[in-house]
Amino acid sequence: MAFSITDLLVTDDLTILLGLIAGTVFLLRTFYRPQPLVHPILLGRQSEVAKVRNPGESAVYRNYGTGLMNRFPLRPHKDVHVLSDLVRSDLEAPRTLWSTKITNAALQDRVASFGTGLLRLANLQTQESNVLLLLNDCIEFLIADLALSSHSIPSMTLAASNLLSPVLDTHPPSAIITHAEFLPTLLELIYDAGEEGRHHTIVVVGEPSSRVMASVASKVKVLLWTDIEREGFKDPKIMSPLPKPSDVFSVSFFADSDGHVQGTQITHTNITAGVAAIHALFPVSALLSSLDTIVSSHSLGGTYGRAIAYVAIFEGTSFATTESSKLFRVDEVTVKQDVADVLSAQLHTIPSATILFLKPAHVDALVDAILREAKKSLVLNAFAWRHKSASISEGFVSKDTLWDRLVYDAARANVIGEGAGTVRTVIVGEGSLSANLLTPARVALSCPIIHTLTHPTVVGPAFALHALDLQDFSTAEEDPTKSFAPVGPPTVSIEAKLLGVDDSAVEDGADPIGTLVVRGPPVTKQLSGEDLESSSGYVNVRTGESASSGNADDDDGWLNLGFKIRVLTNGSFRVVA
Amino acid sequence: MAFDVGTPINTALLLFILYSVQKIVFPSTSLPKEIPHEFRNGYSWLPKSHQPTVLFKTYTPKTLAPFHGKDNGRILLAINGTVFDVTAGRNFYGPNGMYGNFAGRDASKGMAKQSFDLDMLTPIDQPLDKLTDLQPDEIDNMKGWVEHFSNKYIVCGKLVENDAA
Repeated sequence: MAFSITDLLVTDDLTILLGLIAGTVFLLRTFYRPQPLVHPILLGRQSEVAKVRNPGESAVYRNYGTGLMNRFPLRPHKDVHVLSDLVRSDLEAPRTLWSTKITNAALQDRVASFGTGLLRLANLQTQESNVLLLLNDCIEFLIADLALSSHSIPSMTLAASNLLSPVLDTHPPSAIITHAEFLPTLLELIYDAGEEGRHHTIVVVGEPSSRVMASVASKVKVLLWTDIEREGFKDPKIMSPLPKPSDVFSVSFFADSDGHVQGTQITHTNITAGVAAIHALFPVSALLSSLDTIVSSHSLGGTYGRAIAYVAIFEGTSFATTESSKLFRVDEVTVKQDVADVLSAQLHTIPSATILFLKPAHVDALVDAILREAKKSLVLNAFAWRHKSASISEGFVSKDTLWDRLVYDAARANVIGEGAGTVRTVIVGEGSLSANLLTPARVALSCPIIHTLTHPTVVGPAFALHALDLQDFSTAEEDPTKSFAPVGPPTVSIEAKLLGVDDSAVEDGADPIGTLVVRGPPVTKQLSGEDLESSSGYVNVRTGESASSGNADDDDGWLNLGFKIRVLTNGSFRVVA
Repeated sequence: MAFDVGTPINTALLLFILYSVQKIVFPSTSLPKEIPHEFRNGYSWLPKSHQPTVLFKTYTPKTLAPFHGKDNGRILLAINGTVFDVTAGRNFYGPNGMYGNFAGRDASKGMAKQSFDLDMLTPIDQPLDKLTDLQPDEIDNMKGWVEHFSNKYIVCGKLVENDAA
């Protein structure tokens, strides 16, 4: 049969209808695609690389926003020089810190009263004494820290409770501040250590029982926090000269990877730079403001947790910490890092959390729980998962999509409670997130997940992903369970390089892999080996080695963080498993 | 009107519509085989190669000499023991440039005395110029040039004696 052209091209009304539908569908597909939150071309160059590198090392990497020529940001605002400047008097609205609703002016008053009272009643000398803070995260911790720093008395904090005896042996404090529940344990430790003639002053938060007070030896003076505040409230207030930004205001003790006790000295510049670094984590479209509520699972005894708390203070947000950040417990319970722990922060009277600083175990548990809840609506979930992961692979995530309304909002509400809708960013630190968890986490929480690299000697994060980065480098071939998620470029005030790099491989274009060393304002100075020798002969062999040991200081101020890291071609870093 | 999708155009349009709708309702979630190297090919992309970096090397007058740029290669010159990569300033230091005499050589004396004559250069096989016969202001001038070069060009090595490397 012969078909003529006109037969083939016969059109009728149906053709017009189909043509219109086809046109609409085509336009829909082309223009209704989700736009990526950040253009992928910007993610192709995340760090600024130096032009020259030394043999055996990689080039120096800095954040692309900072650039190689510029100075590092030292402070979040030009007027913030020392710790007390972080409490801004121009912010007048009250916010809730743990369960206390307080304004900045009231906070400054309490800090001044406590400082004055402490100096009067505990016989402390500025620049001579030091005070050990054995407190769980609470407002008293911050008040004590701020008060001591304004009088140039260094505070000592611990990142773990088992460091107490070594620290008491090597660095006997002039005074100790602790909770009432912990007082018996502390007294026991002091009596066991048994130094004759050493006077101890203990400030207790809360009401110790009379039995405990009766057991206090004559050499030990126990003061109540409330008494000190009341005493300090009476004028005149003691004023001390302002500390210099390079003064050490706190020493944080932590255990390194070998189990040795290390101490690191935090200066005012370190903490203001750390606050600036965390401030820079957020994109301009979604900056921190006083409307936010920060929940942190990192204890204030460590540098990272302290930086988060002071960011909350600086920005005027409400702040609370989770149960697992409590270091000093009377019972021997270890709190598991799971969903219940995340929710424990809401038990304080803070508004619903908007920003979560969590550890990878928390994120794992949360995501698992939310996805399991979502799977209960089988058919819809299959579609929802497909659509959300497809849009994430295009670079877009949002809480307001159809699939959220149908499936994920309900799942999140069942897991997190009514506050589920307010979480807008999750920042993961103090651990490495596994690579295959990234996309499920973004689907489940429907907000940016910022993976960071932290270390007890760096105040704030050392490396952090771009806030709107949704890239996922899993391919069909490699096994994603074996690798960690990338941590992004160095933060705005850090520069980094790798040691122990294979020169010939790098000259051929391979990714540099080596040990990470960093430098910059948030990097603290560690206490040297002699200071950490204890009376029982427990010596730290730490000084003098370079890349071989865990945490030695290099020349020129480079600090070895002890991670083995690989640099990707877009300037992002990734911990090698 | 006959509901006749048998006509080729209608069939074609219908197939196109069904295909597009299928793509909209069932978006693809397969992982790519390998990471794309262009941002147009995928959102999760990685550039093909790292930013070029130069390895800091130790040069002797003999190993520095080949970098004169006459073969369109890199142009290096040394001042006061520091080797600079001046390939970006090919107009000045290339074979036809005003200061082309310095390419691949130790230019310390020339920089100090502000002269580009050939007699400022020491031959390659002789020891490096110790610069002992320079006045203090000439030494300052040379240091000023080192500063200028450090800002403008890449410091990529140091220069040592022929037998010291």
